[in-house]
Amino acid sequence: MNEPVKIVVVYQSLLGIYGDQGNGTVLTKRLTWRGIDARLITVEPGQPVPDDGAVYLLGGGEDLAQVTAVRELKADGGLFRALDKGAVLFAVCAGYQICGTSFTVGDHDEVMEGLGLLDVTTRRAPQRAVGEILTRWTRPDGSESLITGFENHGGHTRLGPDARPFAQVELGVGNCGDGTEGAVQGKVIGSYPHGPNLPRNPELADHLLELALDTQLGPLPHDRLNAELDELRRQRINVVRHSKNLAEDTRWLGERQ
Amino acid sequence: MDAMASQPTAQLHHGRPIDPALPRRLWRDAAIGAGNLVAWASRRAGRGSGASIRGQVITRLYPMMFAELVAGRRIAAVSGTNGKTTTTHLLTAAAEAAWGGRQVVTNADGANLREGIASALSQNVKAPVAVLEADEQIVPDLIAKGRPEVLIMLNFSRDQLDRHHEIASLGRKWRTALTAAGEKAPTVVANVHDPLVTWSAEAAGRVIWVDMGLGGWTADAALCPNCGTILAYDADGSWNCPGCELGQHPADYTVRGDEVSGPEGAHWTFDLQVPGRFNRGNATCALAAAIEMGIDPQTALRAMSTVKAPAGRFSIGAFGDNRARLLLAKNPAGWAESLLVMDSDPVVLAIDSAIADGTDVSWLWDVEFEKLAGKHVICTGPRAQDLAVRLSYAEVDHEVIGSINEAMARPYEGTVDVLATYTAFLNLCKMGGVEW
Repeated sequence: MNEPVKIVVVYQSLLGIYGDQGNGTVLTKRLTWRGIDARLITVEPGQPVPDDGAVYLLGGGEDLAQVTAVRELKADGGLFRALDKGAVLFAVCAGYQICGTSFTVGDHDEVMEGLGLLDVTTRRAPQRAVGEILTRWTRPDGSESLITGFENHGGHTRLGPDARPFAQVELGVGNCGDGTEGAVQGKVIGSYPHGPNLPRNPELADHLLELALDTQLGPLPHDRLNAELDELRRQRINVVRHSKNLAEDTRWLGERQ
Repeated sequence: MDAMASQPTAQLHHGRPIDPALPRRLWRDAAIGAGNLVAWASRRAGRGSGASIRGQVITRLYPMMFAELVAGRRIAAVSGTNGKTTTTHLLTAAAEAAWGGRQVVTNADGANLREGIASALSQNVKAPVAVLEADEQIVPDLIAKGRPEVLIMLNFSRDQLDRHHEIASLGRKWRTALTAAGEKAPTVVANVHDPLVTWSAEAAGRVIWVDMGLGGWTADAALCPNCGTILAYDADGSWNCPGCELGQHPADYTVRGDEVSGPEGAHWTFDLQVPGRFNRGNATCALAAAIEMGIDPQTALRAMSTVKAPAGRFSIGAFGDNRARLLLAKNPAGWAESLLVMDSDPVVLAIDSAIADGTDVSWLWDVEFEKLAGKHVICTGPRAQDLAVRLSYAEVDHEVIGSINEAMARPYEGTVDVLATYTAFLNLCKMGGVEW
């Protein structure tokens, strides 16, 4: 019997203020429902980060929490060992920022060193980006998938030569208003639409699992949920494309033409 | 120079000086009159109580309204993320029982910004006692201008993060305001389980510590507000900071179920109509504040037991042949507590994402809907589909009826529990004929 596949939510109490643990729930259930033994693990600061996980998740948080998370992750070392062994890291929002080489915190924009897992730098943006976002993600087979989410960040992120954009922005802000969203470097993926964005983007959820397990998963054998997800995505994509104000107008008011 | 000589002759009347404050008060009364007129028009047009528009009008016409109306009374203020409205109603009931209804003024409708408070106070300018629900943002101003006698600090948790309030900075502002008030700072009634409340409250000269029997919501309190160290929590929910002196205080009042213990071996039993353990915690804070203000505890308890549906919360609405109990929750901490009081099966959950609800529904994933397993859930409201996906991953049986009207027209056996976000709750109150 194989060991269960570990999905690791890292520092939920520090980096999880936007329901980010939901990403862990989604990944774990999507394996379980396919008959693959999976376990959701939440590690908090002070606990060792296991280095035998398949997918690691970082979420959103406030400035002080970012600084604490970087310090604790560097001191612990488990996440770095896991990535060396081929694990996948999916980091959103503040979690994305700390994966870079540097980011700023506080009222005086103090520059902090990041985890250095992505060749990106983040600096304070002139204006906070808040609202629904829609991006285009090119999947490994070359096909395109829409990513729908909600972004809320005060940073502008710029990519260095070793990172490539994760997706292209159709509506919203993304990295810094240059049309790119997120960054990919090896098996580390960073993205602004915050947690939980995997419920709204099942193809991305399955991609992370396939990347970690080096296998093709096939469709989820859960017709009812698949239909609900299709409807949710239809609604969200429709709302974002018809919204006059992405931050304020996020409701579903029936079909809008 | 005597006082007479300083008065301009125009203000002399029958040889006596007019009170120098009088012209200002006349101007103020005129502003209140105009506000009442607008409120009356708003009510006639079926746009609610008119309290909100009255507050805007009177503050616009007379900018000192808030500052003047909060001055010179005995004030008990209630603030925090969750439980403000119910706690205010409970304490008001106690105060009215002790001193009589006309002696006490309150913003019972939950309009808790400067305008809303000014609006409420303008309707009983002479009441010597005010029990005021205050939004967390205006507490520092209320401390400075109204010099409350008692301030209840319930909790700080994340709420509508799309408006990016940092709760840590709110706590800092409260602490600064209490420090600045010095000896004139209110007696603070504070929740021992909330580290940010504790840190803020410690700046007051006198603090009454309350164990509200909750202990639970630690998700917003990972780091010490004083020094940034990661806080240590015990299995029973008690906490301390390994990096500095901050830690949980021993409680002066403790509630477990309906049993309350107080200072010097005092003991009381609640007989409340508002449901849930969170309301037992709220009532304990109200009781502590009432006693601090000199109200006889038995009088307070009797009065609090009459409070049924503060600002529509927990009220029973009529929807055709259906009866529904209407519950409101505004954030993950509120949802977690409210799910515990859902009795019916099925239950209706109504999700909206208008500005007043928070336009980002990612909080759905911070609520442990898994607790509803075994019940059937009707998902309704503009974001019902987001909830449906959440419930599928929680493996909770459910269906989607997007229209709230249609969801409430379903045949239900007995009284159905409906838990809703703010905008959906207000709609439900209107539809169900609930007024306050």
